[in-house]
Amino acid sequence: MEMLVKGTVAPLSSLFGAEEAQKAAKRVQDTIDEKQLELDRLRGFISENANLINTVPFGKAAFFPGRLIHTNEFMVLLGEGYYAETTSKQTVEILKRRGKNLESQVDSLNAMMLDLKAEASFFDRTASEAEEGIVEIREDYVEESSVDRESEPVSSSISEEDNKKVKIEDEDFARIMSRFDELEKEELAAESNNEGDEDEPTKADLDSFSDKISLHGIKNPEKPESRKPMEQAEVKKTVTKASYLDDDKQYYQHKDFACTGLTVQSMSEDGSSHSSSLDPNVKKSTEKTLLTPEMENNLQAFSSLRTQVPVQTPKPPKFDSQKAFTGSIVEHADNIETSSRKQTPSQSSGSQPSKPVSRFKMQRR
Amino acid sequence: MDNYRHEKVQKFEEFVDRRLKPDLVRAIAERDKVFEQQKNFSDLRKNIETLEKNSVTSLRTQVNLGSEVYMQADVPDTRRIFVDIGLGFHAEFTWSEALNYISLREEKISRQIEEYTRLIASIKTQIKLVCSFIMRILAFFFLCHLLKKHSTA
Repeated sequence: MEMLVKGTVAPLSSLFGAEEAQKAAKRVQDTIDEKQLELDRLRGFISENANLINTVPFGKAAFFPGRLIHTNEFMVLLGEGYYAETTSKQTVEILKRRGKNLESQVDSLNAMMLDLKAEASFFDRTASEAEEGIVEIREDYVEESSVDRESEPVSSSISEEDNKKVKIEDEDFARIMSRFDELEKEELAAESNNEGDEDEPTKADLDSFSDKISLHGIKNPEKPESRKPMEQAEVKKTVTKASYLDDDKQYYQHKDFACTGLTVQSMSEDGSSHSSSLDPNVKKSTEKTLLTPEMENNLQAFSSLRTQVPVQTPKPPKFDSQKAFTGSIVEHADNIETSSRKQTPSQSSGSQPSKPVSRFKMQRR
Repeated sequence: MDNYRHEKVQKFEEFVDRRLKPDLVRAIAERDKVFEQQKNFSDLRKNIETLEKNSVTSLRTQVNLGSEVYMQADVPDTRRIFVDIGLGFHAEFTWSEALNYISLREEKISRQIEEYTRLIASIKTQIKLVCSFIMRILAFFFLCHLLKKHSTA
């Protein structure tokens, strides 16, 4: 029985066989070799990492062998020659932010280009349409609707061309009226704010001065003889005259000074020291540039007058015309001056002051 | 006949616009490149001279890693310098060798610049020549036209 058992063992060993064992051993050896190679490579990496051997550029045509040191200290250019000393993490964050900023810029540019493309295609289409069909459309428009309606109120003898003009004028008129409404609203709002702040309402008035005058002019002639082409200059004259006539004595006095200068309003404000909102220095300087000495005399005389005006006359209708007149003249000049003044210091601060030379550059040269 | 003249003039104009002017632009660009090289080498020479004067043997500077981010770098030995000798090869020089090489290189570069300048001048003269030729042709045509008018009148 024992022999039998031994007999059974022998075939098992022969089943594995010497060749198989050798193969297995070889395979293990191979893997060991592989691992050894990997280990060598890793060691190489480690030594490389430790040394960080580098070529330090020296000018553009040469370099030194060298290596990076203090690898956690970066200098990042922030712009305008300013550098920040940062760690690697901070540097990465800065660069990420920079990338995001650039991406947003790219996006906005793309959007702008899309808009422009759409606009261009629109213009192309309108151009091609204009070549083909717009003549017909115009004829229809004149004959059917507009001629009949428009010609009746004015006069029946007017030719078609005149009708067209009238139409255009009508559109202008409507636009002007809408603008007028807007301005009135603004003025109301400005008046409500007026007690607190003196500068803002005048500004709003001033920007729209020319518009207002033309509106007045058109409004007046509208009643007697509607829709006749008038030249703007004439309109303005009539308007100003009318307003003068309408207003009270103070306004007549004002008329004398109307020619004196652009800074009437600001002068009066300054003289009475009403306004603390704007920088007084700026105003004074603008006055000096704009006014001759004779004018200043007039203005000072006037300023005492003018200071009383807002106190005495709080009535809405006269206040409007006055405001429109004085305010506009004043503020245009004022605005331009202050804005230019605001710009100049910023420019000079941008370009003039000595740029700190970067340390890098200093070291290099 | 008129058509023929027109074609001739157009041909000359095309020659100026399509051939000579691009050539001129290319030559100027090439010369600018060479100018830049010259500047690089003169800078390098100055730098090496300052190193020599101050006998600097080890250097610590800042290296641009890209997008204006700088890191400190250390050069343990500055006596050996690798200079670009063209075609992407860098040769290891000592200071004196480098200075020698740079002077030779600068000579060659200045010769190149002279060559390019001459080339540019010649292209410019060619352009002017062709232009004046076109003008002459046009004047000739104009005269012919006048003569014809007179003879018919």
